[in-house]
Amino acid sequence: MTSEESINLLAVVIDTNPIAWATAAQDSRCPLDFGRVLEQLLIFINAHLALRFDNELVVIASHTNQSLFLYPPQLSDTDQPPDASSKPANTYKQFFDVNQAVIKTLKDLITESKSPEDVDDKSMLAGSLSLAQTYINRIRRANDPTPLQSRILILSVSPDLPSQYVATMNCIFAAQRVGTRIDVCRFRGKHYGEESVFLPQACHLTGGLYMEIPEAENLLQYLLYAFLPDPYMRSVLCLPEKDQVDFRAACFCHKTVVDVGYVCSVCLSIFCSVSKQCPTCQTQFGGQ
Amino acid sequence: MSHTLKPPKRKSSAKGIGAIDIDDDEGHDLMGASGQGYSWEEEYKRSWDILQEDEQGSLQGVVASIQQQLKRRRLHRDTATVQRGIIRHLYLVIDLSRAMAELDLKPSRIECTMRLAEEFIGEYFDQNPLSQLGIIITRDGLAEQLTELTGNPTDHTSALQKRSNREPKGEPSLQNALELARTSLAHVPSHGSREILVLYASLTTCDPDNILDTLESLKRECIRVSMVGLSAEVQVCRTICRETKGTYNVVLNEMHYKDILFENIPPPVATAQRTASLIQMGFPTTRTYEEPTLCACHHKLIRKGYVCPRCSSTVCEIPTDCPVCSLTLVSSPLLARSYHHLFPVENYKEIGWAGVLSTMPKHCFSCLVPFHGPPQSMSHRRLSTAGNTGGGTAIGIGSGRFECPKCKEQFCLECDAYVHDVLHNCPGCVNR
Ligand SMILES: [Zn+2]
Ligand SMILES: [Zn+2]
Ligand SMILES: [Zn+2]
Ligand SMILES: [Zn+2]
Ligand SMILES: [Zn+2]
Ligand SMILES: [Zn+2]
Repeated sequence: MTSEESINLLAVVIDTNPIAWATAAQDSRCPLDFGRVLEQLLIFINAHLALRFDNELVVIASHTNQSLFLYPPQLSDTDQPPDASSKPANTYKQFFDVNQAVIKTLKDLITESKSPEDVDDKSMLAGSLSLAQTYINRIRRANDPTPLQSRILILSVSPDLPSQYVATMNCIFAAQRVGTRIDVCRFRGKHYGEESVFLPQACHLTGGLYMEIPEAENLLQYLLYAFLPDPYMRSVLCLPEKDQVDFRAACFCHKTVVDVGYVCSVCLSIFCSVSKQCPTCQTQFGGQ
Repeated sequence: MSHTLKPPKRKSSAKGIGAIDIDDDEGHDLMGASGQGYSWEEEYKRSWDILQEDEQGSLQGVVASIQQQLKRRRLHRDTATVQRGIIRHLYLVIDLSRAMAELDLKPSRIECTMRLAEEFIGEYFDQNPLSQLGIIITRDGLAEQLTELTGNPTDHTSALQKRSNREPKGEPSLQNALELARTSLAHVPSHGSREILVLYASLTTCDPDNILDTLESLKRECIRVSMVGLSAEVQVCRTICRETKGTYNVVLNEMHYKDILFENIPPPVATAQRTASLIQMGFPTTRTYEEPTLCACHHKLIRKGYVCPRCSSTVCEIPTDCPVCSLTLVSSPLLARSYHHLFPVENYKEIGWAGVLSTMPKHCFSCLVPFHGPPQSMSHRRLSTAGNTGGGTAIGIGSGRFECPKCKEQFCLECDAYVHDVLHNCPGCVNR
């Protein structure tokens, strides 16, 4: 099947962890401005919608304590429909709707956030990926039997969260199973966006693209040239590839990376040394 | 034919013992929903009977059967956190006797079986990445090993695709097949499970010896035997499965065949006798070579490979055992692939109409599909008309809201199925 016949769904997951963005904004070498990034992202989203009339879109914010659909807007009784009269005359309706919805929901999210003291420095990446995938599943079923080409673009600055490891991996396998590619656009500066272990694995396993953006000023160029093309186009483009993917594992006991480890045959926990009992599942190990 | 066991001396018939003791305690809901019975009972396949337009011209019958299918899958989920034998060794035994040539399953028993077996193998390795599988066929009173126990799905599927391996003839020998599987399973490490899954079409077996002796040795060696019957229930099969703690089911039709075959994909609950142990495993790093190099496993030229952390030889794919130092080579994502068996998502509870409050969310938590309002006057209106407002989710059956007992978020039926079958994360629970 060619890409002509299928519906193209783009899911964008924006990391909105305020602490990570605040750190990035104060970085001495290359400060990162959330507003600038959002502007460029919206242009990219509009470009996706402009490519074909039936391109589908979902935007999700991955916040510190929840994940939130930014687009499509959630139904609720109190909201009145967006004010159509405020739309500039020469703006395409769909662009306007998307931009309004994303900006409005983001503003609400940020104003209702707790005071800085009790905000955790984490991002609900696994939660957002789960929402993205159930949404993709809904669109896939609604359009059956027309094939759906789906992909998830993650804009990420937060550090990995080891407690979300299993959930994140489950998301990656689910994506792999239904053929959803995961692309990652990671911001890296001197004091933010440290090396991620989960995200390159996500891209590697789903056939997506992993890119570290050194300067957010020309983010739009990366978005339009690397992340916008569909899989067929990408196969003929010359894109940077992450050549080394680390498949080593961290032991459950000390969280150190091991290349030869011991694995419990019952629960598959990884350890760096031999013991009599599995600390994870309490199984006693028989003699050899 | 080095794998072939001794030729049959005696022909024992299992049919006489009580063959038509049909097990259909699971069949009722399916039969009620779609009007299908056992395939072999139907002289003609009247598929148009299933499709029934209601007065508005919508295809209620189809929708109902899909709904029923989803519901059935919900009921079958087992989410208790139990120890499971994640490292499995399974022999798939396929009956290739004349009985396989029958046409009651469409297009024929053999075609249907082979197609499902290939799907089964793919799914088995997807869900049990550290496990191994082998294939044994039985025909002409003999058992023959098509593939050894390996972890490579393509070995098995290509063996099944060979034409000569798809030609049913003669009588099957259940005993020979079980003995062959038993002797091959004798050498597997004690931390892994030992299982045999038999797809059996015949009502008879042609055995060299007393099959109950084989059953005793199977029990002694803790081998679990499960069977899928294609015709009718056979007493000896039921006995073997019961005694070895396996499952035994007889198929109703093609869809049911797939259901019961695929119930063997999640790892079985570990039996107490299995000794647990720590297995040494290596986590190789990927390496890209400037000049092509030979892989240690197939002696092919490769540019990209995995380097064994113990002996530094290069292999072209993982998981595998290092061909030089025999260290088990895996990757951490591969181990993570099995974690969902250990931490399953709890089953969601369906909320009845009586429990739906006006303050509850108007849409599914995870896919935003709107929930239906309650039918205006539920007692007076028939279910079929209540369904007309429906856009796809649960029609007329319940409120279509499914609640996670942990996070109390509400989901639609589609999301419930997707979360439990594919995603293995509760979208509500991972967001807090
Ligand atoms: Zn350790
Ligand atoms: Zn354990
Ligand atoms: Zn090789
Ligand atoms: Zn080695
Ligand atoms: Zn849903
Ligand atoms: Zn939950």
